[in-house]
Amino acid sequence: MPKKRERLEVIKDILRAIRETRSIKPTRLLYASNLSPQMFKEYINELISKKFINIDIDNKEKKTFSLTKKGQDFLQEYKIIEDFVDNFGL
Amino acid sequence: MIEWIIQSKESLKLIYAFIIILSCFVIVIKTNKLFKLSEHQGIRYFRNAFFFYGIGFFIRYFFDLKYFIFNKNYHVLTTFIFEYFLIMGGFFLLYSLLWKKIESAGEEYFTSLINSKVLVFYLMAFVIVGLDCIWKTFYFMFFSQIILFAILILISYNNYIAKGSKGKFLKFYLIAMIFSFIAWVLNFLAALTFAWNPGILITIYLLNIIIFLFFAAGVVRITK
Repeated sequence: MPKKRERLEVIKDILRAIRETRSIKPTRLLYASNLSPQMFKEYINELISKKFINIDIDNKEKKTFSLTKKGQDFLQEYKIIEDFVDNFGL
Repeated sequence: MIEWIIQSKESLKLIYAFIIILSCFVIVIKTNKLFKLSEHQGIRYFRNAFFFYGIGFFIRYFFDLKYFIFNKNYHVLTTFIFEYFLIMGGFFLLYSLLWKKIESAGEEYFTSLINSKVLVFYLMAFVIVGLDCIWKTFYFMFFSQIILFAILILISYNNYIAKGSKGKFLKFYLIAMIFSFIAWVLNFLAALTFAWNPGILITIYLLNIIIFLFFAAGVVRITK
């Protein structure tokens, strides 16, 4: 049975999926994140409120997600953050 | 040797406080940077713990101008403020390990130091300090910290068993918690039975220095 992903790992996966495409539609991101719709919504709301991602709406009311500078910095320093959280049991 | 230490105890106390405050300062600066980057609540509470310890030691050993102002009431006040910050430091350390089980996803807080969950700790610390103040003792703080660090030993032992290979510092975290527990038990015994025996106090100071240096070194090593 595969190990349950840690919260930090889920966030990294979502941000990476967005970075790979630069901007991504919600349905595609939901598939890429491998989360239930409910959990996906919670994570997305959290990432928006913490300013890791932006939600962009075009003329046809279509939504896409893009990475903010903060989101990019997070991915760049992810290894250190993960190490820190693991080493101090946080 | 012990005679020399006793003779120069005031200067040594300042050096002791300086080492601890410097360790806390380094930890707070490094973890604050990491928190700003990650918005990780565990890092936030860990940072807060050392923020409180640092402020506590600063007030107790540097803000307390007992060397210049011979006012006993002022010294009593700084001692209880020190106690309050010390207790809060311990509570934040505990909460940094428990927050995941208590907080729900996406909870938002507007300040780093206060939220509805942590407010309980502020009130508990206030009650403990209040009781010590009324009874003119430190036993309530000693009891609370002995219990707290016994819990922290259990949690850090579980973390070490569960993630030992993934987090190399977890072993040192556990050792630091055991040292902290011993230091608080010695504090309690020194007050209760040994009339603040200098030998015991020196051991406590050394243990505290080791604990804070452990954490500072761990933080610096991982975040470098």
